[in-house]
Amino acid sequence: METKDQKKHRKKNSGPKAEKKKKRHLQDLQLGDEEDARKRNPKAFAVQSAVRMARSFHRTQDLKTKKHHIPVVDRTPLEPPPIVVVVMGPPKVGKSTLIQCLIRNFTRQKLTEIRGPVTIVSGKKRRLTIIECGCDINMMIDLAKVADLVLMLIDASFGFEMETFEFLNICQVHGFPKIMGVLTHLDSFKYNKQLKKAKKRLKHRFWTEVYPGAKLFYLSGMVHGEYQNQEIHNLGRFITVMKFRPLTWQTSHPYILADRMEDLTNPEDIRTNAKCDRKVSLYGYLRGAHLKNKSQIHMPGVGDFAVSDISFLPDPCALPEQQKKRCLNEKEKLVYAPLSGVGGVLYDKDAVYVDLGGSHGFQEPDEASPTHELVQSLISTHSTIDAKMASSRVTLFSDSKPLGSEDIDNQGLWMPKEEKQVDLKTGRVRRKAIFGDEEDESGDSDPEDDEEMPEGDRMENSSGDETEEEEDAEVTGKVYMADKGAKRQRLEMEEDSEMDLPAFADSDDDLERSSGDEGEEEEADESSEEEGSDAEERDNLEPKTIGKGNKAGLLHSNGLSDGLNLEKTMKKAALTTSDSGHCTAEEAFASEDESEGSSSLSTEEKDSENEALVRKKFPKPSQAVSGQKRASESLIDETSDIEDLLKEEEEYKEASNYSTETSGALKWKEDLSRKAAEAFLRQQQATPNLQKLIYGTVTEDNEEEDEAGEELGGLFRVSQPARECKYKADSLDCSRFHLEVPHDWDLEEVMDSIRDCFVTGKWEEDKDAAKILAEDEELYGDFEDLETGDVHKGASGLDTQTEDVEEEIKEEIDSSAEESAKKKHLDKKRKLKEMFDAEYDEGESTYFDDLKGEMHRQAQLNRAEFEDQDDEARVQYEGFRPGMYIRIEIENVPCEFVLNFDPHYPIILGGLGNSEGSVGYVQMRLKKHRWYKKILKSRDPIIFSVGWRRFQTIPLYYIEDHNGRQRLLKYTPQHMHCGAAFWGPITPQGTGFLAVQFVDGTTPDFRIAATGIVLDLDKSIKIVKKLKLTGFPYKIFKNTSFIKGMFNSALEVAKFEGAVIRTVSGIRGQIKKALRAPEGAFRATFEDKLLMSDIVFMRTWYPVSIPAFYNPVTSLLKPVGEKDTWSGMRTTGQLRLAHRVKLKANKDSLYKPIVRQKKHFNSLHIPKALQKALPFKTKPKTQAKAGKIPKDRRRPAVIREPHERKVLALLDALSTVHSQKMKKAKEQRHLHNKEHFKAKQKEEEEKLKRQKDLRKKLFRIQGQKEKRNQKSSLKGPKEQLK
Amino acid sequence: MATPSHSLSYAGCNFLRQRLVLSTLSGRPVKIRKIRARDDNPGLRDFEASFIRLLDKITNGSRIEINQTGTTLYYQPGLLYGGSVEHDCSVLRGIGYYLESLLCLAPFMKHPLRIVLRGVTNDQVDPSVDVLKTTALPVLKQFGIDGESLELKIVRRGMPPGGGGEVIFSCPIRKVLKPIQLTDPGKIKRIRGMAYSVRVSPQMANRIVDSARSILNKFIPDIYIYTDHMKGINSGKSPGFGLSLVAETINGTFLGAELTSNPQGQGVAVLPEDLGRNCAKLLLEEIYRGGCVDSTNQSLALLFMTLGQQDVSKVLLGPLSPYTIEFLRHLKSFFQIMFKIETKPCGEERKGGDKVLMTCVGIGFSNLSKTLK
Repeated sequence: METKDQKKHRKKNSGPKAEKKKKRHLQDLQLGDEEDARKRNPKAFAVQSAVRMARSFHRTQDLKTKKHHIPVVDRTPLEPPPIVVVVMGPPKVGKSTLIQCLIRNFTRQKLTEIRGPVTIVSGKKRRLTIIECGCDINMMIDLAKVADLVLMLIDASFGFEMETFEFLNICQVHGFPKIMGVLTHLDSFKYNKQLKKAKKRLKHRFWTEVYPGAKLFYLSGMVHGEYQNQEIHNLGRFITVMKFRPLTWQTSHPYILADRMEDLTNPEDIRTNAKCDRKVSLYGYLRGAHLKNKSQIHMPGVGDFAVSDISFLPDPCALPEQQKKRCLNEKEKLVYAPLSGVGGVLYDKDAVYVDLGGSHGFQEPDEASPTHELVQSLISTHSTIDAKMASSRVTLFSDSKPLGSEDIDNQGLWMPKEEKQVDLKTGRVRRKAIFGDEEDESGDSDPEDDEEMPEGDRMENSSGDETEEEEDAEVTGKVYMADKGAKRQRLEMEEDSEMDLPAFADSDDDLERSSGDEGEEEEADESSEEEGSDAEERDNLEPKTIGKGNKAGLLHSNGLSDGLNLEKTMKKAALTTSDSGHCTAEEAFASEDESEGSSSLSTEEKDSENEALVRKKFPKPSQAVSGQKRASESLIDETSDIEDLLKEEEEYKEASNYSTETSGALKWKEDLSRKAAEAFLRQQQATPNLQKLIYGTVTEDNEEEDEAGEELGGLFRVSQPARECKYKADSLDCSRFHLEVPHDWDLEEVMDSIRDCFVTGKWEEDKDAAKILAEDEELYGDFEDLETGDVHKGASGLDTQTEDVEEEIKEEIDSSAEESAKKKHLDKKRKLKEMFDAEYDEGESTYFDDLKGEMHRQAQLNRAEFEDQDDEARVQYEGFRPGMYIRIEIENVPCEFVLNFDPHYPIILGGLGNSEGSVGYVQMRLKKHRWYKKILKSRDPIIFSVGWRRFQTIPLYYIEDHNGRQRLLKYTPQHMHCGAAFWGPITPQGTGFLAVQFVDGTTPDFRIAATGIVLDLDKSIKIVKKLKLTGFPYKIFKNTSFIKGMFNSALEVAKFEGAVIRTVSGIRGQIKKALRAPEGAFRATFEDKLLMSDIVFMRTWYPVSIPAFYNPVTSLLKPVGEKDTWSGMRTTGQLRLAHRVKLKANKDSLYKPIVRQKKHFNSLHIPKALQKALPFKTKPKTQAKAGKIPKDRRRPAVIREPHERKVLALLDALSTVHSQKMKKAKEQRHLHNKEHFKAKQKEEEEKLKRQKDLRKKLFRIQGQKEKRNQKSSLKGPKEQLK
Repeated sequence: MATPSHSLSYAGCNFLRQRLVLSTLSGRPVKIRKIRARDDNPGLRDFEASFIRLLDKITNGSRIEINQTGTTLYYQPGLLYGGSVEHDCSVLRGIGYYLESLLCLAPFMKHPLRIVLRGVTNDQVDPSVDVLKTTALPVLKQFGIDGESLELKIVRRGMPPGGGGEVIFSCPIRKVLKPIQLTDPGKIKRIRGMAYSVRVSPQMANRIVDSARSILNKFIPDIYIYTDHMKGINSGKSPGFGLSLVAETINGTFLGAELTSNPQGQGVAVLPEDLGRNCAKLLLEEIYRGGCVDSTNQSLALLFMTLGQQDVSKVLLGPLSPYTIEFLRHLKSFFQIMFKIETKPCGEERKGGDKVLMTCVGIGFSNLSKTLK
């Protein structure tokens, strides 16, 4: 490819390099540039024109401002989700090869077949999710919405293809992610020049589409079926360092590009009805915004769903821990692609998936921080372990059907790995499992030796130093309860508040629990009220039995078909009931909460006991007002909360009992439990009690779910007392906060309690005016001292020096004074710096800077606010944050989604904002794409892609008149924007959209029909079309006419009274009143008299209705391989074509040849008087036509004799001869004349020539003579002198 | 489109306004059953019906279904429309009852709302228009809803039971709200008030002022209480008088309190001196509770925090009122938003009772009604 004779190096004449050289050269010559041009030649740079200067200044400012973007709050999470890299291109361009090469480049692994997204770690701070995009327009649209970076592959040997441009347009509409072009097939060029030309051509075309200077990569050729390593490395490097600007839609909506899908439907349901709606769980990194549980999502290609559950999982492809190293080691180069069969062991809430690939996907849990994880595990348990055991499933390969525990006969396949782990820990197998993130499932694997667990756990909770404390707290709590009237124990209250956290954090737990335990736990409640120690023990035992019941129920509902397996699992369950040990305590808390919440009876009983406490705690915690009586009904649940607290304490007590019993446990356990307890307490301190009081377990949301989900063995429903008993449902709806017993504001101490709320009160240290003043004085007093003492110590004034010396002496005397002085000194310095900063910045700061600063501050606050909380709590406040790997459960998914699942197609879960799930009328500004060949017709179904959705709808096109009227258009204008309105899902204003006519099949033409933006959303719409009503006068008075035929009834006329009407000839009028005689006739007045032949018409506007047709494109439900064949409603044109129906044209609309009739005008009649007055010239000449010659004047016809005829003939012949002769003579003469003329001319010429020569001669002689004369005159006197 | 779990269901007529307002903002339909089902006079009352009518007026495309007895209400919200509206409120409740909800909805309309409300301006149950004007409008301003058009004008005063008052409320529209960080209420720099009297002796107002000042002067000298005596057609249909006080801090927090005389023919006559003193004490009570938003407007501030951008908003409140607590629960069910609630004990300082710091991340709400031009 290289040319043989390379060009010689040419010297640079311009550019930085040339300049540098020139400079050096000048320096060498000692001419140097000690002064720049401005200094050397100031005049050249002086102000020439103030106007021009102002203009240029203005321009620079304009350019500067143009560069500014509106500052936005940076909401990118600390650990961002992987960047979505979409590799797009027409078929056979090398997409898969490129992906393979990229993966190999980053991970040193080779994936043979790539299906679905592949997540890899590309650097210390960046991960990539690479996905391939074919040229199915559905896929292109979906992926353009989630892409962060698009690698656009272009076959250089072929040039651009339609897909490329289509995809570019789709990207543009949906926010324009970063786009990088990649030219492939460059090895097919034979000549270098040709290659260069092609590159240049493609580059410039690409630039016009994206932006000038967009990066275009060249992959020169293949080596062994792969791209060259160096080039791929460079490409990878580019991707890793690329920066992205946030896109509006993506940052305001949560979304997930699912990389894994599992079907969770009950197999029994599938057996009975193969087409039943499925329950699926989808996995992926959350991107964009925060996602809240129970929110609405849209799956492009499937439909809208409500999320039934979300949970976050450990990151399967985590970023490496922070290290000093520059590059990743081999273990950190992870790759995760479950759909392609890569990713190792996958643990899930209720299943274990093992992939036997040679990857590092599965890493051993870190043993460094077991305490934290223990607590984590305590919190994150959602159901008893035996329940999990039953429902846990194993997938050997990610795309195979998961195996339930009932199906496992030979565990040989996945056991070894698990056993290996077990062997390492020898006896303490189960413990080990607990510390792992996936403790429950691994614990399940060998349930036989799980029996001692509960005790151990219990002990962990309470053993160690903390036990005594807890007991203390518990005792005081009891005392507290006994004497309610006592006003104290603020402290205890706080401790109480610390207790309740686990229940709070776990509030979801009781949602999941089957109703089986409900009743029993209520019993437990009552028993615990008695506060007997035996009751407590019972309480403790009961959850175990509950566990059993629970298990049984679960099995029942699961309806396992395999009898043998059932038996086996039953046995296991029996063994593992106690396994649920570590959750029991916690669940007991929760269950109590719930039973309290739901059973109003018990609550009301307890009311009386705890009312006093409640009042004290909230909202008046001060001791001064102990006797308050506030009977606000809505506070009842608070009382129940208090009770919960007390219960929890009891639980603690019993736990501690256990700990004393099993004091002989192993050392490491003790240590662990202590740590766990510590972590536990730490967490408790973080969250106050008020939270639970409000959200607790009594929120409506949860209740509702309970009501829905509570069934006992599928037979009986648990009847719950109505919720409204908890608070007075029908009480007064008032926002004012009345106090039953106010403070006595006449008392001095009460008044004192708010003294500092006023400016007259005491101020804080840092805000007290006197103090600040004093400080400032101090600061300014020795200001110079600081300066001199700091920098110019030697040169400082004498007095300051001495002061310094003194200070030094003092410092030597005592170190504390020195320290304080140092601090003071630093303070001063800081203050000075702040002052300086403030002063300096004030001059500089612009509105833009302020705005930016504000956004920055907000971003920092956002980051800092929930930083110190663990994920479980955080998720509750802010939702699941982007960057988390989450699992979403969705119910009622059409079975086709699972049956026809094709991993090549992206599954996107797009979160919907508020009311984005509803439908209404959407108005938008639309423009037909300039490359689309046809114009669009109103009421033709078309497929829109707006927001996350793709759907077919029937739009109406309209244009807005100058008066704001929206007038219907039949077709879109050719090169102009118009409005479009359709009935469909509401999407926020400002969202871009595109329209395609069809999504099935491929056409050689450009497929994107129109693009635009959403303008307005409404529930009604006013698009009108023109309607002309015509009528005919049937009676005409002067200016009044009676008109019929316009309306059908007097009522219709009444509606249009006063309306403006017009005749075709332009006479305007008004409708006056209906007439009785012909129905629908009316009286109207006009500005002139009508004729009977006039047609009267009225122009009205008729509102058109938009068809409520909204049909989501369900392309993902199509069978594999036919996903690009979705076709919805057909247009009338298509239907006509299919049924061979010819359009019957309106005859009047047809074009006919224009036949112009001859117009006959009447003769002009001029009155006689006028005629007389006219001048003769214009007077009509009344010369009578030469009429018939009268008979007498008519000459008779001459009839000749034969002789005469002969004579005449002879005469004729003679005259002919004569005339011929004359003609000839004339010709001859003419010729002769010509010759003569020529001769004469010649003669003349000669004569002239002669004359000319003669004259020449004469002049020459004359000239010579003159010369001579001149000469002689010059010479003359000299000669004379001589 | 709408999945079954989308709709929410409640029982009882309490917190009807909250539910309907949140339903309108979130777009989730709501069904309320058993409205006074056990009552002798079951179903919706007049003032509730009037409220529903008002909602219908300011929205477009709402579907409201009420059963025969009025005990069940189904509300499927439309889009907020706004514009110029007039509404005759029921005299059973004050205009404040309606205005509180309008304050929540007004910034999210399609056209700026300008509404004329007629009815009872001051009563003993609901926050009066005076208090809302002085305390709620500053809260709106904190969220970036300000400008000339944010205005609450009291044209006529109407006291219960006759009513006859008239107020004009106008509010600009916003696409998004600003997040707030109000953690320091600051110190109170002045107290202002309005003593009003209609169809009674104008001297009443002066008597109120004197008695109220006698209490408040112990704390701060900068007190000014205006007297407002309305006459003729502007004085409504029933006699009455009252006082509303507002304390302003240096950080722009407004704490309000108010008291109104008993309506004509109900209860014993109230001495204006007593009323003034009691109202002043109520203000002190409110100051004791403290916070950056006063107790009546807690829910308003929390709502706007919820509807903010996806940023952290913080506000320091006094003890949460039962209404606010229920409101928080409703916010959770409608918007899936949970507040981080931290109790700030008062400690040694003489600054009133315990405070509560509420923190949340906004849901990124944007005004879907506003037209893009």
